[in-house]
Amino acid sequence: MLDAIAFYTLAALILAFAIAVITARNPVHSVVFLVINFLAVAIVYIVLGAEFLAMIQVLVYAGGIVVLYLFVVMLVNLKRGPEAHQDPRRQTGAGVGLAVAVLAELTAILAYTGRNPLPAVVPAASARGPGGNTEQLGWLLYTTYLIPFEVASMLLLVAMIGAIVLARKVD
Amino acid sequence: MTYHLLSIVLFTPLAGALVLLFVPRAQVDAIRWIANAFALAGFVVSLPLWNFDVQAAQWHFVEKAEWIPSIGATYYLGVDGFSILLILLTTLMGFISVLSSWEAITDRVKEYYIVLLVLQTGMLGAFMSLDFLLFFLFWEVMLVPMYFVIGIWGGGRRLYSAIKFFLYTLVGSVVMLLGILALYFYNHTVTGVYTFDVTQFQQLAVPFNIQRWVFLAFFLGFAIKVPMFPFHTWLPDAHTDAPTAGSVILAAVLLKMGTYGFIRFSLPILPEASHYFVPLIVWLSVIGIVYGALVALAQTDWKRLVAYSSVSHMGMVMLGMFALTPVALTGSIVQQLNHGISTGALFLIVGIVYERRHTREISDYGGLSKVMPVFAVVFLIMTLSSIGLPALNGFIGELLILAGVFVVNKLWAAVAASGIVLGAAYMLWLYQRTMFGTVDKPENAKLTDLNLREFATFAPLIALAVWIGIYPAPLLRRLDTSVARVITRVNSVYGPALAKSNCTTPTAPAITRPPAPTPGAPSLDLTGFAACADEAAPKKPGGK
Amino acid sequence: MMPLGFTRLDFYYLLPELIVTAGAVALLGGDVLLARGRHRLLTWVGLAFLGAAAVALAFISGREGTVAQGMYSVDGFAVFFKLLFLVAAALTILMSHRYLDVEGARPGEYYFLVLCATLGMMVMAAGVDLVTLFIGLETMAVSFYILVGYIKPSRRSNEASIKYFLLGTFSLGLLLYGMSLLYGLTGSTELRTIATTLAGGRGGPLLALAVMLLVAGMGFKIAAVPFHAWAPDVYEGAPTPITAFISVGSKAASFAMLLRIFFEGLPAFRMDGLGTIFGQPLGWTYFFYVLSIVSMTLGNLAALTQNNLKRMLAYSSIAHAGYLLIGIVAATPRGVMAALVYLMVYTFMQLGAFAIVVLMRRQDVIGDELKDLSGLSVRQPAAAVAMLIFMLSLGGIPPTAGFMGKFSLFAAAIESGYVGLAIIGVLNSAISLYYYVRVVVYMWVRREEAAAPPVVMSRALALVLIVAVAGTLVLGVYPRALFDLAQASASTLGRADQALGLLR
Repeated sequence: MLDAIAFYTLAALILAFAIAVITARNPVHSVVFLVINFLAVAIVYIVLGAEFLAMIQVLVYAGGIVVLYLFVVMLVNLKRGPEAHQDPRRQTGAGVGLAVAVLAELTAILAYTGRNPLPAVVPAASARGPGGNTEQLGWLLYTTYLIPFEVASMLLLVAMIGAIVLARKVD
Repeated sequence: MTYHLLSIVLFTPLAGALVLLFVPRAQVDAIRWIANAFALAGFVVSLPLWNFDVQAAQWHFVEKAEWIPSIGATYYLGVDGFSILLILLTTLMGFISVLSSWEAITDRVKEYYIVLLVLQTGMLGAFMSLDFLLFFLFWEVMLVPMYFVIGIWGGGRRLYSAIKFFLYTLVGSVVMLLGILALYFYNHTVTGVYTFDVTQFQQLAVPFNIQRWVFLAFFLGFAIKVPMFPFHTWLPDAHTDAPTAGSVILAAVLLKMGTYGFIRFSLPILPEASHYFVPLIVWLSVIGIVYGALVALAQTDWKRLVAYSSVSHMGMVMLGMFALTPVALTGSIVQQLNHGISTGALFLIVGIVYERRHTREISDYGGLSKVMPVFAVVFLIMTLSSIGLPALNGFIGELLILAGVFVVNKLWAAVAASGIVLGAAYMLWLYQRTMFGTVDKPENAKLTDLNLREFATFAPLIALAVWIGIYPAPLLRRLDTSVARVITRVNSVYGPALAKSNCTTPTAPAITRPPAPTPGAPSLDLTGFAACADEAAPKKPGGK
Repeated sequence: MMPLGFTRLDFYYLLPELIVTAGAVALLGGDVLLARGRHRLLTWVGLAFLGAAAVALAFISGREGTVAQGMYSVDGFAVFFKLLFLVAAALTILMSHRYLDVEGARPGEYYFLVLCATLGMMVMAAGVDLVTLFIGLETMAVSFYILVGYIKPSRRSNEASIKYFLLGTFSLGLLLYGMSLLYGLTGSTELRTIATTLAGGRGGPLLALAVMLLVAGMGFKIAAVPFHAWAPDVYEGAPTPITAFISVGSKAASFAMLLRIFFEGLPAFRMDGLGTIFGQPLGWTYFFYVLSIVSMTLGNLAALTQNNLKRMLAYSSIAHAGYLLIGIVAATPRGVMAALVYLMVYTFMQLGAFAIVVLMRRQDVIGDELKDLSGLSVRQPAAAVAMLIFMLSLGGIPPTAGFMGKFSLFAAAIESGYVGLAIIGVLNSAISLYYYVRVVVYMWVRREEAAAPPVVMSRALALVLIVAVAGTLVLGVYPRALFDLAQASASTLGRADQALGLLR
């Protein structure tokens, strides 16, 4: 029941913020809405019990990709850019605080898993065991789903090269 | 049979085309000689086909090889009397059309002869194939070369006429393909074997509801080719705008593919449906005869007039065919050959004057018999052949058709006879307007008569017209078994008269002896199929 | 018990893909290391790797089974398609050899992307798991997004790339949604498990929705109406060899994926089980039936009015997707065999036709309009004859391979009782010849434009034309080998369900 309420609320939020991303006039606002969208998706993952995915979502999407977006927005120097905000110092404080909190979380997670050693042999189809689904995911990625995993690495290479190809100057 | 005669005949023109590929296009004379040599060779190698065992009711010169076993398609060639005669007509007209192009085609000569030779192979293949897929392949192969012949080397609105011919015929053929596939799968449900073997299909008992649709599918494909009213509208344009050789081949051979299809495929494989659709086909044929003749009467373009005469003549052929009696069917086949000879010659005749005057308007001519006497004689012979004057070939065909049709339905025969009268009208009037009278146009006075090469294109046709007209027995004899095979399939529905099993008395009133033959022509030997085997023996054949 | 992870066995069976990957990386490295002006060597390096992959393919063919924990299938079906992709990629690389010089584009990354696209296609053909299929699809798609926009100075190229990317990503999202619904319904992404889990049961509305989404996603990739809107612009704007590669390789790979998903994953829902429509039971055949008819008809009608050769070929390729769908609708082994035959035949004739368009591209002349072909029979008679053969083959006239392909498809339709579909198919075939013949008319009847720069055929392009013409004519007259191969391959679809054991 609680799950359902959580899911539908989050789903509504996700959709709302997705629409906000494409309708916002200020590009930086778009990016911020995108971040919130990604965080909401991460919470959905937690509700579903996929903690690893939630962490990856936050790290990779909300962290890496959004930062890249912001960089591009700033470099391209679109009108009505980041000059709009008023007080830099207040942002710094909040930024530092958030960063410390994330760091503490990470340390706690690492310490926790460090205390539980990995089992020697994991049977191919295991139920939800200790260590959370990070471990299961890892096993699956390197055994059952190895081929998609490796091909995905080529996909990423293609994306990288493609970005270079598309963005470099015409000589 | 062991020396693959049919394959040799089939591939000789193609070999010629391949040889021409390597001749530099600048050497126009060499190209012409090589092309003519191969066309003549193609005719010469087909002559041995004339000698086959006339009495044997089987397929002759059969060749069979594996082609696509997984779907049951084989390289299966075989002929009977009917197709042998058509093959001979094809090779002869092919050579004549190649010969007639000597001076007419001056641009892109190499491509022209290659295209004509490829077309020749296509037509021959269609007449020889006993495998449906192989037949269809050759049938469609004809489309593209003919398109080029009309579209590149034609005149007038050649691109329009060419694409009209192409798409019209193509639609018919692809619908025909669906009919073939329907038979193919039905055969599989009955015999469990996937095969395209036509001889197998000819022994299959197909239920009527399937027969009806397959007949209609085939009908579309063949009727467009014949051409039957109302599918004939491509013909006047294609004939008029094609170059002379193209018109000759189109009229002499391509139109026969349609009738060949009906006789070889529709009638034997789909007998009940054939009976069912006899009224439809007869009405369309009758309309075609009269309509074609009336429109021909109104033409001012010489070539278009001959084109519409084709429509009228082919209507007569179809009428004879679907009377479904041995006499009428024999007459239909003979008339097909006659039409090839006479109409082919008529198109050559138009070509002759067109090369000289570059106009096809009848009113531009007049009194040519004074200036070109040899030409006038040739034209006269062919006109009379087309009309059906006794002592020439047209008479034999028309006589047999009328005799066969009269027995079945007198009204049809009456209308057909009127078509003959109209035929005489437009042809004689044409002749009068162009050849008789005074030479009132100065350009006409300077025209040269036929040269040796041009006369050579007519000589075989004149000879054939006279020979068939006076002594058709060898021809008719070769048609016996083919006609019998078809009629026993088709007419066995009517009654047991032609079925070999009922041998006491001939019971079907539909078969009678033809009227007394004209002096000099032997009586026709109809014992082979009018009665059964034990009755035939004591009767002496009328002539050999 | 199955060994975990990657074994030597899997390595062996994945050899073709590994060789292609190695080739891609080698080309990338070679581009950096080679001195300026020696880049033309890359063409032959790429071809060498593709050839090696084909040889490896020959070694693994004839086996049936799955490797890598059931993710990947080794069967005749996969081998057939991989061969097709390798041939298509090789011909594309040959076509691009001189084209890139004319366009002023750098070949290194280009060839890398072509090989990566090939890799993606190969994975799509062999995958038996939704995840594998999707990854393969993405790899191919992203490679193509970039390749389409490769000619940066060309506005059409940029526009085509953006359009392809946006529309492609959107439809792949639809596809992924459908796949996730399937996973939700069955708890597995393996196609065989999906089939057994759903077997015998009624699908329910979710399954119907999943199927519709899958059809939409795949419909985009094969450019079927109404998911075809990207095709004309993308085909026109992309570099011509890439257009050729997309129209052949992407289409074939998408069809392979479609056949896998629907024939191995959802065989029970072919004719019914998804609900009812107009009172008739609804199966996924119905969707393809509709798609087939509208694709054939609209594709052909739209092509009639085109003056740009690449756009015309784009619409014709939409129509060809419609013809191919006939084989899917027939859904018998013969239907699948017909689709395979037609795809192989299509490779030769479509690549050949585009090769001629590549031929027309030279300095200062874009060359993709119909009128640029005027008088080609005089300027380059061999090319004109080749184009004639390709146009006739695309229209389905004997004795070309296109006729054998169309014949197989219509035979399959009639055998399954879809007579109406066959009639529409043949009529569309007839209509399509009008615009194919128009190309022929331009080449043979119209005179050359004055002051047009000469048309020069490079040896690489000549090789492409020779291969394409040979394929088209030989398969048209003697298609026995192809038919047998396609039949054997089609029959392996859905049959390999045990893991492959030890070598030999």
